Amino acid sequence: MIIGILLSLLAGSLVALQNIFNSKVNERTGSWSTTTLVLGMGFIASLMMSLIVEGKDTFALQQMQPWYWFSGIIGVGVVICLVQALKLLGPTFAISIVLISQLGFALLWDSFGWLGLTKVPFTLNQFIGVLVIIAGILCFKFGGERVSRKAVASKTERLGA
Amino acid sequence: MKGIIFALLGGACITLQGVANSRISQDIGTWQAATVTQLTGFLMALLILLIVRDGKHGGIKQVKPLYLAGGAFGAIVIFSEVTAIGQIGVTFTIGTLLIAQLGLTFLTDINGWFGVAKQKMKLPQFIGIALMVAGVVILKL
Repeated sequence: MIIGILLSLLAGSLVALQNIFNSKVNERTGSWSTTTLVLGMGFIASLMMSLIVEGKDTFALQQMQPWYWFSGIIGVGVVICLVQALKLLGPTFAISIVLISQLGFALLWDSFGWLGLTKVPFTLNQFIGVLVIIAGILCFKFGGERVSRKAVASKTERLGA
Repeated sequence: MKGIIFALLGGACITLQGVANSRISQDIGTWQAATVTQLTGFLMALLILLIVRDGKHGGIKQVKPLYLAGGAFGAIVIFSEVTAIGQIGVTFTIGTLLIAQLGLTFLTDINGWFGVAKQKMKLPQFIGIALMVAGVVILKL
């Protein structure tokens, strides 16, 4: 369990860094230029890691189901939705809903075990835990007008996870 | 209302990405899964870019190389998230991930790292993160 927690913390930290870096790119160019660059960099880095770890098994893709080839489109959906949401709602409101939605769907996914993931049974603790996290997100986002527009606008480019 | 629907869908897609990568990793390696999903995402984004052409000429050249490389973190993000989901489930993973994400964003803002506008420390953000930690603990009680 501890490894899972540490890896989640690592992923979250890198997402935060990526948001900052991507926003620096986005200041100088458009959303789609940034997205293309970010995914291209991610692809190159993943390919290199795969070549180091798996060697030529990297290209053994017999197990691929057809829909796997389209999974990357989800990332494009993220950008379209976030750009629109930020435009229509402004950063604080939009990102709060995005984070809450992430968590809500995570709970749904665990509870139903969709896509063949291990089911994590829905319990009262899970429900209360998620509600408390959501309260934390709202407190963080709406407490004292701290939110900087620039840092939050960068959420648009959050594609890595 | 339209904005709220876009925001909800956006969040759903972010979680779906992690879940889809986990599913794909069951059949091929995790690094391979990260490679394939980002390749197809890249091609799709490139196609859209060629249609909308939103790049400003020479704009990219004004960005520090370090910032241009930020996308490379995506590889480690996907690998870590997929491995974590396999070990502790989606909800616990996303909850913990968001604590680190908001926590580091907060640290960056109060210290003005990477040239972001420095902001004063405020109590609500501390309480917010404390609540999130409490929530994640409750998930596991």
